[in-house]
Amino acid sequence: MGKDMNKKRGMSRRVIIFLVLLAASIVVVIPYVWMLSNSFKPQLETMIDPGHLLPKDPTLYGYDKVLTGSPFFKWLANSLIVTCTNTVVILFTSTLVGYIFSRFRFRGKNFIFAMLLFTMMVPAQVTMITTFIIIDGIGLYDSILALIIPSFVNVFGIYLCKQSCDEIPKELIESAKIDGAGDFKIYFRIVIPQIRPVIGALAIFTFLEYWNDYLNPLIYLSSTDRMTLPLALSYFSTQHSSDLSATMAAASLIMIPAAIVFIIFQKQFIKGISMTGMK
Amino acid sequence: MVRSNKKFLLLIMIPIIAEAVIFLIIPILGTLGISFMDYNPLGHTNSFTGWDNYRKLLEDENFIIALRNTLCFTIFAVGINIVISLTAATMISQLRSNKTRSFFRMMFFMPCMAPMVASAVVWGRSILNTKVGLVNEIIRDMGGDAIAWTGDPSYVMFSVIVFTLWADLGYNIILFSAGIDGIPGEVYEAAAIDGAGPFRKFFNVTLPLLGRTTTFVVLMTLISYFQMFAQFSVLLFKDGPQNSGLVLTSYIYKIAFVNKDMGYAAAISVILFILILIVSLVQRKAGKVDWEY
Repeated sequence: MGKDMNKKRGMSRRVIIFLVLLAASIVVVIPYVWMLSNSFKPQLETMIDPGHLLPKDPTLYGYDKVLTGSPFFKWLANSLIVTCTNTVVILFTSTLVGYIFSRFRFRGKNFIFAMLLFTMMVPAQVTMITTFIIIDGIGLYDSILALIIPSFVNVFGIYLCKQSCDEIPKELIESAKIDGAGDFKIYFRIVIPQIRPVIGALAIFTFLEYWNDYLNPLIYLSSTDRMTLPLALSYFSTQHSSDLSATMAAASLIMIPAAIVFIIFQKQFIKGISMTGMK
Repeated sequence: MVRSNKKFLLLIMIPIIAEAVIFLIIPILGTLGISFMDYNPLGHTNSFTGWDNYRKLLEDENFIIALRNTLCFTIFAVGINIVISLTAATMISQLRSNKTRSFFRMMFFMPCMAPMVASAVVWGRSILNTKVGLVNEIIRDMGGDAIAWTGDPSYVMFSVIVFTLWADLGYNIILFSAGIDGIPGEVYEAAAIDGAGPFRKFFNVTLPLLGRTTTFVVLMTLISYFQMFAQFSVLLFKDGPQNSGLVLTSYIYKIAFVNKDMGYAAAISVILFILILIVSLVQRKAGKVDWEY
């Protein structure tokens, strides 16, 4: 009897918890729903009668205005170029340098590693001032290269890959050496397959970091044509401050693909965060 | 240890170190140096001025406001964030089905991976907007008066904090969930045998055993919230009325890139760095005491 009571109490407690969490998730989703709804409303409806959850007279006018009235595809291309280049380069340099810090001995290794870790603590607001002067000095102001060239060394990535390389069994690399494999061969054939989970997590986070970046584009880019998506959206929003439907259409075009990618890869995302503790 | 192949090592490390020196080390030392100069990228007489920029800070009313707002935003937003995310993670861990648990984690995490700027545009234009925003629509429907969420100085910080929590809670929910999943089930069973209810389990088992996770999460969240910039820049118009939403990051941006007074901006950024450094050190000391299981 007593056990049954306990079970029942546990059950009803879980139902209450479920309902509270469900209500909270609805609150989390509402801004997305509202954004989508507004993106399909005619401009006038958003101004004079904004209170309806669903558009009274759905239209693609907002999307049309974004896609044909602004260099949206140019912005998308800029974002893709910056994000993909940085992700590929950072994955390559991080795994390589992580492997070197883990398995090679050379003078000043610990000092260099400590210096790199120290730079992680310094906020972007400190470094951006001098970096801007350097970027401006080498003539990269208002070029998307300004978002690519300073990003090749990613300390967090190096740290993560070093930790992961530390766990590769010594014998694995030793025996490959005895078989006469060169350093690059060992890196590609042994190190990369062994640290694959970390590479996956790092890929996701690097991609998101550059895809979502706002501060650097804001500082380095000025021409409309050269903007990346987040900066372009905030620019578009101020340019069309009286057109809510077009702005929400632009926001949807940026948020929805990201949300779909996330839903597809959610397991990897969530594993990656708990594995790395990364933001 | 592997015999080091010198050629391989030099081939990789020389470009890496060069890049790190130019884009990681020099920017730190450079900004520190510039903070002692009167530096304008367009000017020709960029002269050394000693501690002048730092002395100026003490008399700069806007700097004091920005510092106060940054501390206020960080302390409240991080405090509320930790309480809610720990509660949510604990609640999620109570559910039986694996699928439901990952469903809720996914829902709460979704806003985290959207560009914060895009979320801020959506919130600023369609949720918190005074005339057509959803929140005021609901308030009007219930017979209340519209509130200028981002235009009234007494609401500005509140609005930014609510937005930030919406956009960022999911990370910590995931981190706390991972921590809770790491606590061995036997500990809870033992507590249950001793007659502990859900609340006692939370305060006497979960909370103490999550010490390490909590220290880590609080530290990371504090550091990242000190540097929040996008929502202040997008959600508020010109730092909010009477600078009510002015924080150190937006002040540094304004001084450096709008006013082009890079020396002064560098000095403010050094203060921000010191703040972050203090938090890291305090947290690290406090985190020394830990529980093992």
